Amino acid sequence: MTLRKWKLAWALAVAGATFVGAPALAQDTTCGTDRKIDIAEMTWASASVLAHIHAIVLGDGYGCNVELVPGATVTTSASMMGAGEPAVAPELWMSSIADRWAEAEADGTVVKLGDAITDGTIEGLFIPATLLEEYPELATMDGVTARPDLFPDPEDPSKGRVYSGPPGWAAEMATASLYAAYAMDDSGWNLFSVDSAALAASIKRAFLRGDPILFYYWGPTAVLGQVDAVKVELPPVDDDVYKCNTNADCNEVGKTDWPSSMVYVGASAWVADEAPAVAEYFSKVGMTNEDISGLLIYGDANNAETRETAENFLQTRQDFWTTWVPADVAERVIAAIN
Amino acid sequence: MFPEIIDTRPLRNWVDDGLEWVVVNWGDGLEAAASPLLTLLLWIEHLLLATPWWLIILLLTGLAYLASRRLQLAALVCFSLVFLGVMGLWEDSIKTTALMLTATLTAIATSIPVGIAMARWRWLRNIVTPVLDLMQTLPSFVYLIPAVMIFGPGKVPALLATIIYASPPLVRLTDLGIRLVDPDVMEASRAFGASPRQRLFGVQIPLAMPTILAGINQTTMMALAMVVIASMIGAGGLGYQVLQGIGRLEVSRGLFAGLGIVVLAIIFDRVTQAFGRQLQERIGLQDTRT
Repeated sequence: MTLRKWKLAWALAVAGATFVGAPALAQDTTCGTDRKIDIAEMTWASASVLAHIHAIVLGDGYGCNVELVPGATVTTSASMMGAGEPAVAPELWMSSIADRWAEAEADGTVVKLGDAITDGTIEGLFIPATLLEEYPELATMDGVTARPDLFPDPEDPSKGRVYSGPPGWAAEMATASLYAAYAMDDSGWNLFSVDSAALAASIKRAFLRGDPILFYYWGPTAVLGQVDAVKVELPPVDDDVYKCNTNADCNEVGKTDWPSSMVYVGASAWVADEAPAVAEYFSKVGMTNEDISGLLIYGDANNAETRETAENFLQTRQDFWTTWVPADVAERVIAAIN
Repeated sequence: MFPEIIDTRPLRNWVDDGLEWVVVNWGDGLEAAASPLLTLLLWIEHLLLATPWWLIILLLTGLAYLASRRLQLAALVCFSLVFLGVMGLWEDSIKTTALMLTATLTAIATSIPVGIAMARWRWLRNIVTPVLDLMQTLPSFVYLIPAVMIFGPGKVPALLATIIYASPPLVRLTDLGIRLVDPDVMEASRAFGASPRQRLFGVQIPLAMPTILAGINQTTMMALAMVVIASMIGAGGLGYQVLQGIGRLEVSRGLFAGLGIVVLAIIFDRVTQAFGRQLQERIGLQDTRT
């Protein structure tokens, strides 16, 4: 008898809790879908911080079921086109995947929700500014390729070393194509590719010690914001040549500067259909190069972890991001990060 | 969550500034200290690259046959090397082999004496064991990026990382092997009037040989396991092909390069084991121990 009474009481309590909880659940419907929104967090700093910012806003503000998953340009875009996941990539660089993306958009498997970086990006080969002052002829690529002796390779001092993009990146192919187009192998150079973390460490090391260094890098990044480097002048941008340069199967490489890459917030098509609130949010989140650099420099100066940098942004730049979201979402986010 | 007792940021800043200070002030000195390693590696690499491919295949096949006296191993080695060449991985395999050989030789030269010393003096074992734990479990990139900042990217930090990762098994197994020598045998040798040096080289090391050889085998395997990480910081070789394959979504490239690494591992494993067996037979230990 007593056991049945307890069971009854328990059942009533649960039912009561469910009813009490129901209004709270009603708030979550601003997300529009229960489906998991997995956000691609790529390995470079700006993409990583943006992924965390969006995860906080969507998770705490809209009540979505978010998850951060690792990503990289080629693999994430391919996965979206093929399998519909991850849901969103907040910083998808189009430079190496533009054609495939356009095809997939036409097929209806992916959508562009908005521009992630609104004023383009910067990619190129850089040298220290102090070196340029000493040797003004290094301002152009022709001048640089003629002087391998100024950039000695520590493992082979008779040759010069040029640091290309990290292994597997489109930037690596682009640099290797330029290397071939300028016949640098015959002029006494070595092409050298290291992982992005090691590349950043090598650059910082060279600038700390005042060593000359010729390296590929991209912006917006904290590294370019911190070192005094100058971009080497390459011939004007030729899109077709660049496309061939970044295509492993194309052999007619040529000399061209890096085009300013479009950077989208890319998403699998279902996001636009099943979660229109999320899609609308992402259409507004574009930032300029300067905004992103500011983000990254905070992180670097304060040795902050990615999540800390994201939370700092949400706390200190409310003027900026509250325009992206409705007022109640903004309130919930601010409450969550405090 | 756990209460914030102290602000860790000044501590972290101190570590980072300390690293920068080391890079600026001791960078040249440390680079010079590591240059013998680099010289050895470059020498091995140039030697292997200069040797014609058919000679290398012939030599390694012959070595495999001499070590094992079995045609199967020789055939396996020959076929595997031809596979590497046909897949266009020859030069990368040479670079990886040179790195692995240099790391293994250095690890052997430093680890065996440390292992022997550890077996002899307990206080040393108490100090060294936590260091070995650190070397094996600390994630490589934690000390790799500082190593890149100090030594510059390329072969030197790759060598250091491989040596750090590959040495502990050999140290531990040498220590174990020597400690496990039958105390009765040691007593008998003392009774026969053997000096400590004679006991070490005449009794302990020969009897510990199977364990030490297992350690060398493990060191070789772990050196090859570091190949991809070594390539991330500029050592080139097969790991670089794997990274490119991953980055460009060319699964085939990564797969074949990975198989190349497996091939090298099998070759060195079988050959060193076969030589080990021969060595044991020659010093009088028959197969009961293996």
